[in-house]
Amino acid sequence: MTLADMPKPPEAATEHRLHFHDGSSRTVYVIDREVPFPEGRLIISRVDLGGVITHANDAFVEMSGYARDELIGQPHCILRHPGMPRAAFKDLWDTISSGKKWHGYVKNLRKDGAHYWVYATAVPNVRGGSIVGYTSVRRKPSRKKIAELSAVYADWLAQEKAA
Amino acid sequence: MTHLNILIAPDFPPERFAAWHILNTWLQRKSGIALHLLTPASAHEQAELIAGGKADVVYANPFDAAAMVRDAGFQAVARPVGKADEMVIATGAASPANVVEDLQPGCKIAITDNRDVKLIGLRLLEPADLTEADVQWTMTDSFQAAARLAIKGEADAVFLLADAYHSLSKLSRAQLKLLIESRLSDITHVLLARPGLGEQAEQIVAALVALQDTPDGQQVAADLGMPGGFERMSHEDAEFMIDLMDTLLD
Repeated sequence: MTLADMPKPPEAATEHRLHFHDGSSRTVYVIDREVPFPEGRLIISRVDLGGVITHANDAFVEMSGYARDELIGQPHCILRHPGMPRAAFKDLWDTISSGKKWHGYVKNLRKDGAHYWVYATAVPNVRGGSIVGYTSVRRKPSRKKIAELSAVYADWLAQEKAA
Repeated sequence: MTHLNILIAPDFPPERFAAWHILNTWLQRKSGIALHLLTPASAHEQAELIAGGKADVVYANPFDAAAMVRDAGFQAVARPVGKADEMVIATGAASPANVVEDLQPGCKIAITDNRDVKLIGLRLLEPADLTEADVQWTMTDSFQAAARLAIKGEADAVFLLADAYHSLSKLSRAQLKLLIESRLSDITHVLLARPGLGEQAEQIVAALVALQDTPDGQQVAADLGMPGGFERMSHEDAEFMIDLMDTLLD
């Protein structure tokens, strides 16, 4: 599924071209602003086997900057930030599609080009013995862990670019 | 005459005790089924009753409900409307901590025997880089006793069900400082029917969701602290909630 390019924000932004696992690509714009995680809340979404969003709770919608109907039916990589290495998402999909739980720190891109960090947990939805989709729940991350993971992700990104 | 046992999880505030008995009478009258209310005093007593096959219908807290659906074949049939299970982390009013991130490794946290509250609280401590092993836990017999430890400065913080926190006296709340109140929204208590209950479960659920249809029924729901009454819960609703709770276990 192809995502439309992001419109260029009015403020100063850097342009990036993202390339996804299915061969599609998308231009996104990034501004230097972090939106804090909403206190006490969980950001919840569900996707189908193809990674298409089928459910988003209010916190998910609010933090993404999109309207709900701009999210439902779209691939989850609508939130992909260029600061996230592809290897992190490969690990996520390899883990959950084998029926296991995945935890990780993720920097998400908002519609306006700002970002928010989350500690994400994804689990397969097993019904009648088969995986029918996936649920992802994000919690407020520790700043120490974000600092550690930012350095790791920068290394991975550099390796991916060099490859 | 045979009867069914309805077990209510022991985490409701004591002042709701009479309201649960009134609900039991209401359900009995409306469903035409003889019902006996079981109100275990502890999580341990609840587990023994359920393991002994004594509970036909259970109003269970979320994490117990998850295990009973997935491991014991209970069926989720109803849940309260607009009544999510939330919790708070508070300190004494004089504590230097103002946010969860101010709590340090080695801190003392007062709790009660409520696994849901502890699990959700542990998730809310993550931004402070605190794990279960970093905390000195002080188990108390009641939420009032837990709150008192924080008020007196004998605990650095207290975990409480949000309902319990809000039911404290104005004076007690003034002596506490709220660090965080969860707004998870999607996690609730669940009414479960044991495997094989069939039509009788349906009769009980029909009576329960009909509470909102009459002023008398609305009063029963309000007295339980659930003014929104109850709604039916589908198997997929329950599975959704269980998947969500699975993500919160670690």
